[in-house]
Amino acid sequence: MSTLTDRDDGAQAPMLKLLNVESSYGPIKAIRGVSLKVRKGEIATVLGSNGAGKSTILKTISGILDPRKGSVEFKGQDITAKDPAFIVQQGLLHVPEGREVFPLLSVHDNLLMGAYTRKDRDGVARDMEMVYGYFPILKERAQQDAGLLSGGQQQMLAISRALMANPDLVLLDEPSLGLSPKLTKEIFEIVVRINRERGTTILLVEQNANMALNASDYGYVLENGRIVMEDTCERLREKEDIKEFYLGMKETGVRGERRWKKKKTWR
Amino acid sequence: MSNLWDLSHIQPGRADVVPGETIPAMFWNAVALRGDQVWMRQKKLGIWKSWSWRQTGDAVRELAAGLQALGLEPGQTASILANTVVEWVLADVAVLSCGAVSNGIYPTDAASQVHYLCEDSATRVLFVEDDEQLDKALEVREQLPLLRKIVVFDMKGLRDLDDPGVMSLDALRSLGREWLGQHPGCVEQSSAACQPEDLAILVYTSGTTGKPKGAMHSHRGLVYTTRGFNTLVAQDERDERMCFLPLCHIAERMGGEYFALYTGSKLNFVENPETIPENVREIAPTVFTAVPRVWEKFYSGVMIALKESSTLQRAAYAWSIGVGMRIAEKVMAGEAVGTGLKLRFTLARWLALNNTRKLIGIHRARFCITGAAPISPDLIKWYMALGVPMLEVWGMTETCGASTGVPATRMKPGSIGPAAAFNEVRLDPATGEILVRGPNVFMGYLNLPEKTAETIDPDGWLHTGDVGVVDDEGFFRITDRMKDIIITAGGKNITPSELENELKFSPYVTDAVVIGDKRAYLTVIIMIDQDNVEKFAQDADIPFSNYASLTRAPEVQELIQKEIDRVNLKFARVEQIKKFFLLDTQLTAEDEELTPTMKLKRKLVEKKYAAQIEAMY
Repeated sequence: MSTLTDRDDGAQAPMLKLLNVESSYGPIKAIRGVSLKVRKGEIATVLGSNGAGKSTILKTISGILDPRKGSVEFKGQDITAKDPAFIVQQGLLHVPEGREVFPLLSVHDNLLMGAYTRKDRDGVARDMEMVYGYFPILKERAQQDAGLLSGGQQQMLAISRALMANPDLVLLDEPSLGLSPKLTKEIFEIVVRINRERGTTILLVEQNANMALNASDYGYVLENGRIVMEDTCERLREKEDIKEFYLGMKETGVRGERRWKKKKTWR
Repeated sequence: MSNLWDLSHIQPGRADVVPGETIPAMFWNAVALRGDQVWMRQKKLGIWKSWSWRQTGDAVRELAAGLQALGLEPGQTASILANTVVEWVLADVAVLSCGAVSNGIYPTDAASQVHYLCEDSATRVLFVEDDEQLDKALEVREQLPLLRKIVVFDMKGLRDLDDPGVMSLDALRSLGREWLGQHPGCVEQSSAACQPEDLAILVYTSGTTGKPKGAMHSHRGLVYTTRGFNTLVAQDERDERMCFLPLCHIAERMGGEYFALYTGSKLNFVENPETIPENVREIAPTVFTAVPRVWEKFYSGVMIALKESSTLQRAAYAWSIGVGMRIAEKVMAGEAVGTGLKLRFTLARWLALNNTRKLIGIHRARFCITGAAPISPDLIKWYMALGVPMLEVWGMTETCGASTGVPATRMKPGSIGPAAAFNEVRLDPATGEILVRGPNVFMGYLNLPEKTAETIDPDGWLHTGDVGVVDDEGFFRITDRMKDIIITAGGKNITPSELENELKFSPYVTDAVVIGDKRAYLTVIIMIDQDNVEKFAQDADIPFSNYASLTRAPEVQELIQKEIDRVNLKFARVEQIKKFFLLDTQLTAEDEELTPTMKLKRKLVEKKYAAQIEAMY
């Protein structure tokens, strides 16, 4: 079994490294010591149920939440508890849960907001064309207010807005939230394309385990604020507990139905 | 609340509380005697529901009549496959009231084991807890031609089930009500027909090697031993107990169910095995019997809480436990505790010890009992320092539970006490093996006359397989299981459990198996305590993700090495543990490596991890 400590990184340092990170909301500890790595050019995913602490991890990385303990390292630089604006300038972008587009700004202006930190006008124009290429619907509705877009389109816009900053690493918080299965599939396909074509590293947080495992290279399973399992997604898909608790596959037994849950062992 | 220097409230109970020479006779007498008093409590949707003796009696009568309607005859076996719940007790007493034989099956057993146990015991009726356990039974039903009916306690998720071989407990009660209408008094008759010599229960021993063996106990043995327990560790109707160990295990069956049946103490059932820590605090038992694993877990919970507390709190604890330790030392030495020390102890309790007791849930405990596995003397002393008498008993399935016990008047950690008044205990002069004789000794193993003859000699002495020594006060001390004693390549005899108990006292070690038979030196396989080691790693900034990576972290390896070094200091040179390895999977009760009481099975572990063991030599 491959694990954090002996996972082969070759000569390359990981793009993102979390060591023993603990974060809490007031007295409530949401993550209780998380160590993980994201390598350059890969899509990594953190799976977990409601309240496992997935979003808290992303918020801690992007500086919205200061950890109580532990460190976050991005491209070899310590960014623990740094100002979110500073972290964005380093090339780390956070696409928050629930999209959070600026509803009264046009689609075009929303995209420009994403490029706010950039000085290279040519590059911005090129990237604008690139995101319109990925999501042609945004080009069609470029002058409309973002609040008028459908949920799926807003998600496309949120991802595009992040890409406009020309990031090295994108944190994607539940892109499938509230979307139809068809739209979810489309979005995931484009996320993979962005990763392959642009080489953007992605850390994805998802409840839709099936989608996330298919799209990602490496996965972590988070339960009660702790990582209980990690492996390549290929191998994770074969694990008994993943099948039963995350993919909804289970033997139905002699009665042809089963309500009770097995005990999780995380092996 | 107890103070160690005055344990006059722990007196042997001499009077016969409830007459009756069989379990059903005793039960019906107890129902008549105690009527509307509460016997059992169990949570339903988060609210405690009481079972009075009368209610229990009504349920048992209907269930027993239902079993008779199903054709369960005296001498035939019914098995119970469930966690520790009220319905377990109802089914058990109902089966016994039919004059039939009751057998428990661990809910953690796999379907194949359920098959073996039902087949070996010739089970006619099988009680199962819920849909999960039902699925195991259904999986092997085809191969059990004798099995007539499966009765389900909890029908959640089974509304659509339509199977003539399966019925609910409620349906069995209705059936019983009908049957009682046609055959009034049938349960009283079958109860009265039950004879003391009759086989009452089967208790399958967990069997570290080979198939489990069914130990047979008669009504006489059970009733005799139950009465005997009251001379050893008396309790009465005012006492609150917590029922949580598996009822198929002799400890909870005898010390929990039947002992409470006799004495009238109240049984409070835990919600499930995971909620034990919360339930202890809620129930706050006045008499508390548990296995060492539970006492170790409580202790390490306190150690964790302590690490998270402030310097001032830690200092208060350190001072208070020091005072408690001094009192424990004095009591153990049989010296009087001076007024000054008593006053300081009052302060110590107020400062820290009362809260520590509350944190565990033993603040009302008159005394605690530990048994079923060896325990570290240091751990016993710690509980004594809290002001709680911790009495070690020793016994086994074949002795119907406790056979020796440490009296409250003479606590000696490390010793299992003198023979209980109700049986004889002596050492085999040749081997040092502990031998037991008395009516509490079992009838033999079901279907295994040769094994029985190997265990009980012609003079009626049970050969327990434990080796021990006895001191001039008649107190026994176990050195080890006879077959576990290690003889190193150098010819030195070593008792692994002494080393293992020392290791287990470490908050970072849950269980350990020392290896070294016919080897040049000793090594050990260690199962770490996940909570405490995770906490250690997190505090020391040691990156880890899952359990396996935690066990592989060099700092964790160092930590365990330090624990081993600490233990090594206490032992002679030939007894030093040279190498170790940490189990890298987190074991659960379902795993074959663990007994249902969560001990590592030595032989199985040695076999399964043979490669890793070889690597250490």
